[in-house]
Amino acid sequence: MATEQNILEGDTRGFMDTFLERFGFDVSNVGGKSLQRKGPLSEVYLMELVPNLLIIIFGTLVMWSASLTIADASFPRHIAGIAIGLVGAALVWAYDYRVCAGMPTLLLVVDVVLMLLPSVPGLGYNAMGMTGWVQIPLIGLRFQPSELAKPVTILLMASLTAEYNGNIETLRDYLKLCGVLCVPFILILTQPDLGTGLIVMVLGGCIIVCGGAKRSWVLVTLGIIVVGSIVVVASSMTEGLPSILKQYQINRLIVFVDPSVDPSGNGYNLQQAKIAVGSGGLLGKGIGNATQAGGGFLPEAHTDFVFALLAEEFGFLGSVALLLLFGWMTISVVLLALRIESVFGKLVLAGVAAMWSFQLLQNVGMCIGIMPITGIPLPFVSFGSSSMIAQMISAGLVQSVWHHRTKVG
Amino acid sequence: MTLSNIIIALIIILLLSLVGLYVFYSRGDDERLKLDIGGAAPRASGGNDASAERGIRNRLLGLGFAAASVIGVLVGRLWSMQLVSSEEYAKQAEQNRTRTISITAPRGRILDRNGNEIVGNRPSLTVVSKPNVVQNEIEVKLLANLIGMPAAAVRRKIQDQSEGAQSDRTVAQDVSRRVVAFIGEHPYLFEGVSVEERTARHYPFGKLAAHVVGYTGTVTREQLEASEEANDEGTIVYQAGDTVGQAGVEYEYEDVLQGVRGEQGVHVDANGAVSDYSTLVAPQSGSDVILTIDATIQRAAEESLERIIEMVRTTVSKNCCAGSVIAMDVTNGEILAMASAPSYSPNIFVGGISNDDWDALQSDESANPLMNRAISGQYPSASTIKPLSVYAALDNGIANGKSEYECLGWWTGFGQASGQYCWKQSGHGTMNLKSGITYSCDVVFYEIGKGFFESDEPEAFQEKLREWGLGSSTGVDLPGEGVGRVPDAEWKWNYYTNASDADRMWKGGDFTNLAIGQGDLLVTPIQMACAYAGIAMGGVQWRPHVLRSIRSRTGTGSVIDYEAQQLREVVEDRAYQNIIRDGLEGAVYEESEWIALHFLNMKERVAGKSGTGEQVGKNPTAWYIAFAPADNPRYVVVSTIEEATWGSGSAMYVTRDVLGALFGEPDDVMVAISDLQVAD
Repeated sequence: MATEQNILEGDTRGFMDTFLERFGFDVSNVGGKSLQRKGPLSEVYLMELVPNLLIIIFGTLVMWSASLTIADASFPRHIAGIAIGLVGAALVWAYDYRVCAGMPTLLLVVDVVLMLLPSVPGLGYNAMGMTGWVQIPLIGLRFQPSELAKPVTILLMASLTAEYNGNIETLRDYLKLCGVLCVPFILILTQPDLGTGLIVMVLGGCIIVCGGAKRSWVLVTLGIIVVGSIVVVASSMTEGLPSILKQYQINRLIVFVDPSVDPSGNGYNLQQAKIAVGSGGLLGKGIGNATQAGGGFLPEAHTDFVFALLAEEFGFLGSVALLLLFGWMTISVVLLALRIESVFGKLVLAGVAAMWSFQLLQNVGMCIGIMPITGIPLPFVSFGSSSMIAQMISAGLVQSVWHHRTKVG
Repeated sequence: MTLSNIIIALIIILLLSLVGLYVFYSRGDDERLKLDIGGAAPRASGGNDASAERGIRNRLLGLGFAAASVIGVLVGRLWSMQLVSSEEYAKQAEQNRTRTISITAPRGRILDRNGNEIVGNRPSLTVVSKPNVVQNEIEVKLLANLIGMPAAAVRRKIQDQSEGAQSDRTVAQDVSRRVVAFIGEHPYLFEGVSVEERTARHYPFGKLAAHVVGYTGTVTREQLEASEEANDEGTIVYQAGDTVGQAGVEYEYEDVLQGVRGEQGVHVDANGAVSDYSTLVAPQSGSDVILTIDATIQRAAEESLERIIEMVRTTVSKNCCAGSVIAMDVTNGEILAMASAPSYSPNIFVGGISNDDWDALQSDESANPLMNRAISGQYPSASTIKPLSVYAALDNGIANGKSEYECLGWWTGFGQASGQYCWKQSGHGTMNLKSGITYSCDVVFYEIGKGFFESDEPEAFQEKLREWGLGSSTGVDLPGEGVGRVPDAEWKWNYYTNASDADRMWKGGDFTNLAIGQGDLLVTPIQMACAYAGIAMGGVQWRPHVLRSIRSRTGTGSVIDYEAQQLREVVEDRAYQNIIRDGLEGAVYEESEWIALHFLNMKERVAGKSGTGEQVGKNPTAWYIAFAPADNPRYVVVSTIEEATWGSGSAMYVTRDVLGALFGEPDDVMVAISDLQVAD
């Protein structure tokens, strides 16, 4: 069959396709066998669903152990978040995502509204020094709209970029896309939530790049971002010049560069997280035996630093298992993007894959000292229902793409 | 860490080179590897343009590649952290949660010779506070109300750094269970405040033997530094806040009484709350010190001293308030009782003495109660020196057993202008050396003084006194002993630097003064106790001591006994010894009927001597020294009372009472007030 398709598709196939096919992957985008409907299970994309569910189960186990020692880590709330997320994912799965391709304006409006919700008097709720929370009056339920803004931004950018069908011809179009991306990015920065802003930037940028931006533009843009960041950091760290970054952000950068600067102060979190991860060893200390997290030495052990807790309890085997599950899940999304026909679908999947990859890199990376510390949750694992629901909705998007794959011509 | 960094660097270099290779090849002629798309493809929505489709495909592949790289980098880093450097991190995690709490070792007890506990330990609930609590006004006020102290006092205690700048501050000791319970139930009100169970010194007999046992206090900065500098094996290294001996036996035998701290390893959480215990190094209790003091005799001595002082103060000398008494075993130097008045309660030092208490102890009105007058009090010996003057005269040929003197009450040996009275101005008549001691006839000793003044070796007199131990410390095992002073020509010249040369010269009158123990001579009661012990024992003096034995409270509970040391032996002719002894026995039984009355009710014969040390502008210091049994001496008792009256009319009663306690024969003769005025 592979030979047949090679002949059919001619030079459209890259060497990677051949490479992947050799390992049994079907990367054809013109309705190979696996894309055919066969039985009820074929309505879900098992390649993504299985690792996703395994990650959630693993995360639930970790959260249960965290709830033993950390008062804030409410296990029922975690389960409730998963339940709501499942409902949301199912709804998204049933919904034809392609409808969104035609409503970029509405998506932009939704995105902006979500970002502005915390600023609405009576709704905003201040937590952890950020105003990014919304408290629904009367019910008292709190959530972070910026988390929900992630899948919305994915849809928004994908719908805009898909119009160009993989080839953004003019700089004007490219700049327009970048401009639209800047709207949610800047809105998030004002909350201020640099971490979520970075995620939005990365997933949006990835969609634009996959959607056919010229390489020279991308390189120039990257150059501008790098130079701009250097200017911002340098100006923030120099006295007398305007300080755009907050002092704690500068401290995190300093600690990232040299963790030995202030191990009991600014470098404390990083130091404790690294000790937690490293002391886990090969097999870990076992559930409930984490001295770093259990003794309260590791701060935020159920939220931002949940990976350090996992690595401490389950060791190298456990943490690598989690990473491999994430790898499996992300690659399966990329593979699906390769296989389906709709450009919009491809870009949505690219956005989701970029989001997961980046959040994984950022979250795990900060626990092990290869990324600066930012308050980014680990998808499907960290405590926090907003993140859990938003991530499961994103997973629902993947499933929706699969679900509605044959309806495109 | 370096290894893991190298591994990460290698992984990153590998990935970067892969990416670089990919980009490099995609620029070449091979269209299939190109990341970007060339040319102008039609803008379309149907996705039927092959080149556009391929562009997305390659970029998606790049995304997949990036996602896989993320996993690879993270796994690589985890491999280095969790497998390569795992042990080091595990060590840090263990350090994180392990703390060592030092456990104070109970201090050794101080017992009397019969095993009665004079100083023991008791548990004491102590409220301690972190230094920063002082910044919380409300908390300080709450704490003050709860303990029942003024807020200012609580604040002062928390600010007190004497226990170390970082260490917890002691706010209150011996708080009630109610206070403990309240603090325990309201941890949010009392952040940084906690209750510790410590041990405190406990005095079952109250102030009994306070000057002997001394008191404890928090280690001073000087003591801390000294202990840190001394690196010798076995030296106790103090920590800030340690309780150490500051006076008396507590100070002298600090090394014995102080235990060795134990260490309890604990696992804590990030807030320092203890979750469980790990290793324990048990503290070693300090050893018990067993004194030569007999609590019964000590109590009799203290009560008698107090009673007689009170009697003197209310009758003849309103300033009388101080004195001392020593009871010593002449055969080995063991001190059975040693009292000093006024006294103090060592209990006020427990948990740190308050400023008010300290000021009160230091004030003039209190007459320095912390001073142990038995070893630190320095007085003219007065007539109690007369036996030694006789030895000096006999040994230097100034007099012999047949020497006779005529006492008319007024002595003009150095001419009428410098005539001196005998204390008995009516005169004693014909006297010899023995009766000179018995009746304490001054004229006999004026003659002796004159004899020395006129001899070739005048200072042989002082040499004799020094030979008997005056002017040097006895080496008693208590801190703060005075050495006294035996004046001689050289001393006088150097001492009175502001006087005229004529007045600085040593004169005949200085010898006559010295011979009767007046003038510039200063002795301590403990020196006189040793001197009279020597007289009783034919010249042999034992080093006075209060330590009987040390009993370890750990291991086998081994006991180390104090080995009696001979202080000195003064060789005197047996015949001379008899003159002295007869004279001293005579002083008890012959000089006056009413003195004899107080001693005739004892079956042991007693030899003794009174003394009345003249003081400029004050009432005299009374002495009475006695040893018994006179024929086979066992105990010597030295009593002094400052600002009293005649020695035989005040100090004598104290000596008699202590002898009574030693031999179980209390004095049943009433002390008549009129007796207080009786002649010396």
